[in-house]
Amino acid sequence: MVSLIEMPQTLPQQLPSQSDRPAAEANGDTVMIDVRDLDFAYGGNQVLYDVSLDIPPQAVTAFIGPSGCGKTTLLRCINRMNDLIENARITRGAIRLGGVDINAPEVDVVDLRRRVGMVFQKSNPFPKSIYENISYGLRIAGVSKKSRLDEAVEKSLRASALWDEVKDRLDDGALGLSGGQQQRLCIARALAVEPDVVLMDEPCSALDPIATAKIEELIQELKRQYTIVIVTHNMQQAGRISDHTGFFYLGRLVEFGPTTRIFTNPTERRTEDYITGRFG
Amino acid sequence: MTPTKHILGTFDEALSSLRNNVLMMAGLAERTLDRAIKGLLERDDNLCVTAIADDEEIDQLEKQIDKDGVDVLLRFQPVASDMRRVVAAMKLSPNIERIADQATNIARRARKLNKHAPLPEVEMIIPIQAHAMAMFKDSIDAFTREDVDLGRAVVARDKELDQLNKVANRKLTDRMAQDPKQLRGYLNLIFVSRCLERVGDHATNIAEDAVYAAAAEDIRHQTVAASA
Repeated sequence: MVSLIEMPQTLPQQLPSQSDRPAAEANGDTVMIDVRDLDFAYGGNQVLYDVSLDIPPQAVTAFIGPSGCGKTTLLRCINRMNDLIENARITRGAIRLGGVDINAPEVDVVDLRRRVGMVFQKSNPFPKSIYENISYGLRIAGVSKKSRLDEAVEKSLRASALWDEVKDRLDDGALGLSGGQQQRLCIARALAVEPDVVLMDEPCSALDPIATAKIEELIQELKRQYTIVIVTHNMQQAGRISDHTGFFYLGRLVEFGPTTRIFTNPTERRTEDYITGRFG
Repeated sequence: MTPTKHILGTFDEALSSLRNNVLMMAGLAERTLDRAIKGLLERDDNLCVTAIADDEEIDQLEKQIDKDGVDVLLRFQPVASDMRRVVAAMKLSPNIERIADQATNIARRARKLNKHAPLPEVEMIIPIQAHAMAMFKDSIDAFTREDVDLGRAVVARDKELDQLNKVANRKLTDRMAQDPKQLRGYLNLIFVSRCLERVGDHATNIAEDAVYAAAAEDIRHQTVAASA
């Protein structure tokens, strides 16, 4: 997997940032990511069909569904991670971030990925120090001032609830951290470049319950400032941490709505069958 | 929506057991109430004693349903219609238990009444009992069949029961003034009428929970909310 911050840099075309928009828009009624009529295919194999949904800012949106239903593919479309796969492409429709089509030719993909960070299923820290892991993204973006880097490292580690655990050993190797700490380090690394959106692809699937609880607690804190989109197979986790939930099946978005409603009274039979464990 | 089976067979078994216990409890409460009323109308002390004794089994079932409900929540973390059914079952059982308590109270009053000469005014209890019993049976039917319309209809019928109780109270109070020698008997009948009115209140609660289980709709306190 190629990391965002390892991607070659090009001149950034400015996408509107969350903080650029009027404060009045920063509530659950507005749209941060607008997915419209989206079809997606790996070569001749279509995996997403006519997906449309509005992801609100400063909220947690969960994608759920059985394996192979297209939820991770959609997640990866949001920061164009699928560009890295040969013959993978959007065949119809669009994704807009703050109103801008992210696949428009003038959009710089590196800038997009700075705005839309990603955390993966398996934590993937660089084989470097804790400090270097966090500061790497800023360094390649041209930040070299030590005080600025120090500030960003501390801020990101505090935001990811890791500062107290690692502040005295920032020069230690990141691979020496526990699995849960490594995942929070990856979240801190994503936050260091001040994104608007953080995509999380099953971020707790390899973690024990305590580490999972810490990540979930962290997600609740992060949503005050960031838009979070998470793919999870854990129904209880989706119910606990998300504000909105989308259920995918066979490449289609079957149902999308407030999490409380989806888990209390879904309107679609397929959603009901899946979340109640009746899917055979 | 007819639910299909869960992938986990044990989940189906646990839900089924919970539901069966609720239905069994409702059946026992209905029988107890019927015995208590018959004991009153037919002046049969044996039926009254049986009705009072039945209460113990119903109390134990209430505890069993609570235990099973907690167990299902813990083991299977139900959501959507499963969660609503478990929550409804756990809310139904105390209401059914209270109905059985009312039946016990009626049976105790009936035993007191049976010690004295029959009062013709006991006939006033018949329409109240019929109304309360019908509400109770229909509320359980609404839960069993997930019948939202029936549940709503039961809730609407509670006012009529309140009115029947009020009228009976007024008449019995008048009789107390007219015939103070039977004051104790009339008081017992007022108490019986009040117990049946409470049965209607519990049936209303059951019907409201049946609507929630079937349609995820909270229809409680709608009159108050509408006038606020």
